[in-house]
Amino acid sequence: MKEKPVVTVDSLDKWREQLRRGGLELAILLSVSTTPRYGLEIIRYLQESTDLVVTEGTIYPILGRLTRSGVVEAEWISEGTPHPRKYYRLSLRGRKNLDEMLDHWNAYRSKIDHLVETAGRMEQ
Amino acid sequence: MKLSETGEARVRGYLFVLGQSLKSFLPRAVVMDAVQELESHIRERIDGAEPEPDERTALEQLLQEIGMPQRVAQAYSAEITIEEAITTGRIVPTARAFWNLATTSLLGFFPALGLLLGYLLGFGSLLTAFLKPIFPNNAGMMVVDGVPRGFGVFSDIPPGAEMAGGYWIIPILIAVGLAVLIITQRSATRFLVWWRARRGKPDGLADWPV
Repeated sequence: MKEKPVVTVDSLDKWREQLRRGGLELAILLSVSTTPRYGLEIIRYLQESTDLVVTEGTIYPILGRLTRSGVVEAEWISEGTPHPRKYYRLSLRGRKNLDEMLDHWNAYRSKIDHLVETAGRMEQ
Repeated sequence: MKLSETGEARVRGYLFVLGQSLKSFLPRAVVMDAVQELESHIRERIDGAEPEPDERTALEQLLQEIGMPQRVAQAYSAEITIEEAITTGRIVPTARAFWNLATTSLLGFFPALGLLLGYLLGFGSLLTAFLKPIFPNNAGMMVVDGVPRGFGVFSDIPPGAEMAGGYWIIPILIAVGLAVLIITQRSATRFLVWWRARRGKPDGLADWPV
């Protein structure tokens, strides 16, 4: 009898998607941490810097939530632009949040790296 | 790409539908801000696009990439209403969030129905307790031949029926009403937290590409 594979292509795709989605909020905060950016600029920045393809229907609600919770600050700017743009920047509170998120991220990553290294050594 | 009058009308139509869809769930100020932001986004993309092979095709392609206005509105409203309901824990935002889920997904419909029943039972009990001193013969439990037939406030009592229970049921009704409301509200909030986590991404929508 033919055995079913433990990890199917579907489940692997789902896992990759969950992984990307889990890092999305961190990626958005990082993209506005150094300089204010507007929505389309954030989308393009994420596409160029990572493989995160983010749609408008995803990013604007997240930016709205981050603004309402005070993690980012938003400001409409119309000077020097063909259309008014809503720029987002990290707030002081957002900076603290981001630092904490990065601490967690680095700790988690080093643990996973350790697991990968250990598994690699055992295979050898 | 500089839009012709027809192209401008198409963009205005898109934004109109978006605004109308958002109005169902969100406050006016939030709707205006969301529409303004998406208009800025669309115009920014139009500026950078080429009218290839023609303006209409290029514009339709662009709007298709952004998504149908109803879908974009759904993403906005789900994110905002669920967030508000979880953060505040109040009844109105919770009811709004459940209404949103019930009208946009089958899985959200049945919990919304449960929430409605919980609210009806809770508020019904409190209302009955409040009206009992005013209409002592119309509020309470209606009993016909010793069998309970209804509960609440009745304008007409059929022949042979009587309202069981004296004023002592008032504290019981208040306690039951409050307990039902608290349990309903807490369950609703837990469901929304679960719903958002189940979706596995911050904006609470599973089938949108990220």
